[in-house]
Amino acid sequence: MSSTETVMTPPDEGTQDAPWHHLDRRMLLIRPVLDLVKSLPVLLGALLFGRGEPWQWFGLAFTAIAVFTGVSHVLTSRYRITASQVEWHTGLLLRKQRAIPRDRIRTVDVTSEPKHRLFSLAAARIGTGRHSHGKGPGKDELVLDAVTVAEAQRLRTLLLHRKVETVASGSAGSAEEAAAPPEQLIAAVDKRWLRYAPFTLSGLAVVGAAVGTVYHFAHELHFDPIQFSLVQAVVGHFADTPTWLSLVVAAAGLLVLVSVLSVGGYVLSFWNFRLTREPAGTLHIRRGLITTRSVSIEEDRLRGVEIREPLPLRLAGGARCVAIAAGLREGKSADKGGSLLLPPAPLARAHEVVAEVLGADPAATPLVRHPRRALYRRLSRAVLGVLLLAAVLYGLAWLGALPDWPWQAALVLLPFAALVGWDRYRGLGHAFTGRYLVTRSGSLDRGTAAVRCDGMTGVVVERSYFQRRAGLVTVIAPVAAGKGHYRVLDVAEADGLALADRAVPGLLTPFLTGERDRG
Amino acid sequence: MSEHTTNTALRLRPPAHRVSRRAIGYWTTTGAILWILLIGLQTVIVVTSDDPPSFLRVTLVISCVLCPLHLVVMPQWRYRVHRWEVTDEAVYTQSGWLKQQWRIAPVSRIQTVDIERDPFEQLFGLAKITVTTASAAGPLRITGLTHDRALALADELTKTTQAVRGDAT
Repeated sequence: MSSTETVMTPPDEGTQDAPWHHLDRRMLLIRPVLDLVKSLPVLLGALLFGRGEPWQWFGLAFTAIAVFTGVSHVLTSRYRITASQVEWHTGLLLRKQRAIPRDRIRTVDVTSEPKHRLFSLAAARIGTGRHSHGKGPGKDELVLDAVTVAEAQRLRTLLLHRKVETVASGSAGSAEEAAAPPEQLIAAVDKRWLRYAPFTLSGLAVVGAAVGTVYHFAHELHFDPIQFSLVQAVVGHFADTPTWLSLVVAAAGLLVLVSVLSVGGYVLSFWNFRLTREPAGTLHIRRGLITTRSVSIEEDRLRGVEIREPLPLRLAGGARCVAIAAGLREGKSADKGGSLLLPPAPLARAHEVVAEVLGADPAATPLVRHPRRALYRRLSRAVLGVLLLAAVLYGLAWLGALPDWPWQAALVLLPFAALVGWDRYRGLGHAFTGRYLVTRSGSLDRGTAAVRCDGMTGVVVERSYFQRRAGLVTVIAPVAAGKGHYRVLDVAEADGLALADRAVPGLLTPFLTGERDRG
Repeated sequence: MSEHTTNTALRLRPPAHRVSRRAIGYWTTTGAILWILLIGLQTVIVVTSDDPPSFLRVTLVISCVLCPLHLVVMPQWRYRVHRWEVTDEAVYTQSGWLKQQWRIAPVSRIQTVDIERDPFEQLFGLAKITVTTASAAGPLRITGLTHDRALALADELTKTTQAVRGDAT
């Protein structure tokens, strides 16, 4: 029914007495089933173990309430878009109302999970520019859980392209809906990029989670995996072979497993990836095989771009590209949030995408290297860290809490730590391109961030005791987007201050002293 | 834009103002309370327990030596290190002893100005000001201002902030 509404977009949409829209009723067929499945553990527990007990009814009541809440949510939720705000009402017993001013809306994120795709529905998340850091989805986010895909697209166009709309007001009507504005394709996924998937090591997390779950269940059910004949056979087989061989076999097996899972993960999350630009100045990202995600980023809200090259990916010549944009959720990993601009792909392609998105490629400007004293700091930090770890492990071994091999293994890590330290120094660099402040750091997780200077909300300069002795400082550019701050690590004091002074003209000038205290 | 010649000895000068001298007393008091709790706890365990762990005696002695040192040095040092300055365009603070930090925020990017006073600050007639911007990189804090000064400062900042309106992100 809401699909018919979208076709004949009421002319009074966006005025004071805009019509109310409801969530799609077809969700009533899905939601109760899902709620039932979700409360299945409680229900089963109540039915199986609680026979005749009074608390059996609690389980039933719990399930009934869950289903009822879901149904009432679908039935009672309604929203409308007036001239100034998006209003949303929901709830039967516990009524909630929320209004978001339209000029605060920065992102409309459309997600189709499998439950939605059954009836080609989608969830539309309407987000404001508030920079909510870390935990959970932002409280000021509005989620319309079941609208048709067409309606979601309409909302997106209506809420994000308001500038265009005001120009063509009135006359647009359904024409605006029908003639979806031509998009300019910036990047689409390439099958050959799959070769980068194993280097993302994303499968490692899956393996870890699986092992954890199996172990947990085995433990819960008092089930000792060693008793299991298959496991016993495998263990028995390994008992005959020398330790080094079984280690090698296990490592190789793990490597293959992780690679396969990583490729699977790549396909699941990045299939059909398309990055497009819409005429109204919005970047639009679509991706996903089973759960499709669609994210829109207003280019006004783009504060820069970061190219991330974690060590394994970098060795394979690949990179990811992430948007630094206000109002996007920065989740546990940036890929989970909406800010991904390019999945792992060749480095050159990442630079092309940056150039397309920003109009120039600040990330490719030759960077100013940091002074040699920064190398000693990187090296000493890496080596001392490992030495400290070895010392602690040795101490524990000496007390008898641990066997000897952990501290010996830590010592073996020393040359690698030194290599990483050296690589970290090699990566350090900064540049100023007139509009962007570019900074690169890290080895295991190298990132080259280009931050728009007018997005900086100030300047922070840090200097530890050791940096002071080496004449170095860390200049931090705080921004209200992405990670929240981007560092120029271990830069020579005068260079760092000159950089900050140029990036935010006039801000530092009154607090700087010139060549006065030379030597 | 400033000149492109490399400025070999460019430095940040410290902000103009120190915090109130009364802050020294405040820092000494709060520090002393922490030490009293720490030493008291260890003493109670050492005295009352039948078989106190041996390392506790060592840490107790160390605490007793460190306590007066810390209480004499820390407030003075902090007083020297904590500085602040507010101009028409910017707020500028300096803090930290081993890890020094200078924060500069343009007035146009300020979002909120808070004044906070814990019971001891009220006793000494002090207040701390927290200035936040839209970034998650952390606010600017000035501790140990006299209450009147803090009020005047917050007033001035909110006024100038309102004059330059924008969404400050």
